[in-house]
Order: sequence, then C-alpha cells, then structure tokens
Amino acid sequence: MSDLKHAVKEMIIQRLKLEGMTPDQIDDQAPLFGDGLGLDSIDALELVLGIEQTFGVKIEDEAAGMKAFRNVESLAAYIAEHKPTA
Amino acid sequence: MEVMDQLPHRFPFLMVDRVLERVPGVRVRALKLVSHTEPFLQGHLPGRPVVPGVLLLEMLAQAGAFLEAEPLGDTPIFLAQVLEARFRRPAFPGDALDLEVVPEASFGGLQRLQGTVRCGDEVLCTARLLLKKGSPLEVAP
Repeated sequence: MSDLKHAVKEMIIQRLKLEGMTPDQIDDQAPLFGDGLGLDSIDALELVLGIEQTFGVKIEDEAAGMKAFRNVESLAAYIAEHKPTA
Repeated sequence: MEVMDQLPHRFPFLMVDRVLERVPGVRVRALKLVSHTEPFLQGHLPGRPVVPGVLLLEMLAQAGAFLEAEPLGDTPIFLAQVLEARFRRPAFPGDALDLEVVPEASFGGLQRLQGTVRCGDEVLCTARLLLKKGSPLEVAP
C-alpha cells in the first residue's frame, strides 16, 4: 500500500506539473484540493486521466471523484479497490 | 437550435453565426463570418484589419458550448485553460471561418477539446482548450 501511495504521489506531481515537489513532501492525509496540496477544480480532469492511464482505474462520476480525491490515502484506497486484476 | 439559445453572449461578443453540424459529445462545426464592421477591427489594427488570435480561441470556446446535449440555460460555459494554441495565418474581413471542435476528455463539468479554425481548405488555428460549465469561481470537488 505504501508503494501505491508513492506511485500516486509521483503521478500527481507529473500530471499536474508540480515542479520542484517530491513525493515525500506530500502528506498522505493532506487534502488534495483547496488547503493542503492546493489543487483546484480544473486539475480534477487531469487527475482523472492520470489515474486511468497510470493505474487503469476509471473514475466514473463526480460522486466517485469526491470520495477518491480527499487525499492520497483515499485515492490509493480507491485505486486498490478498483484495480483490474491481472 | 438557435445560437442565442445556447450562448448567453451578445453583441459585440457573440462569435458563432450558425451551427453547421452538431453531434453532442462527438463533434461540432460552426460558422463565423468576419466582416469589416467587427468592433475589434477598429483598433486591431488601424488600416490593417486582422482578427486577434485570442478571439479565434474565443470562437472555438463558444462553438464548444454546442457539444453539450442539453440547453445550457443559466449554466454558462467558461474557458478554463488554454493548453496549446498555434496560429498559422491570421483571419481577415471576408473570411468565412469554419470552427470545428471535438472533445478529448471530460469529467464533472470540465471538458477538454481539440479545436480547429479553417477558412476554405486552409487551417488558420489549432488549439486544445479546457472548458468549464458553471461559475468560473466555483471551487470543487
């Protein structure tokens, strides 16, 4: 799970071009949007595409997004739960 | 569909004259006719009228509103991001601009699209834009 969280952080940094940021600087529990990481609503689409392309997990609608996008921990949990089984 | 039913824009900022083709969620083609009487040509530029490149992006964004299947009513669409834009040749008075928009991805009121402005066979501008439905100040999720 901690590997997955690390991968999620790397994906966020890469997709949203958070230059100069490292995965270690992102707290598992810090809110992604608003205070915390400071993402805004227009970052949501980029995040949805990043999750789909990196982890093969689709975020179906806004309700699922709201649940998954709370913080890195909830996002990793969502991905683990919906990941296609190999 | 009437152009003014879908777009809240009015003179001098309504930049779609007619919708040529409309498959919601798939593809829209719209027409904008440029004339010498466009208000923005008065100052851009004196004696040398050229449509400002940013207005070509605005035209594409307005055409993008017709990708929505439902009438927008009181929920306007805003330009949230310009991801890429390339201007190959300017638009001049007399040009019939063919605006084509094709969606790339969407999520929760956000729509990323690929747009092309053509005049005849010539490509004037290509761009990738992000449109947002609703208030520009809204913070979500």
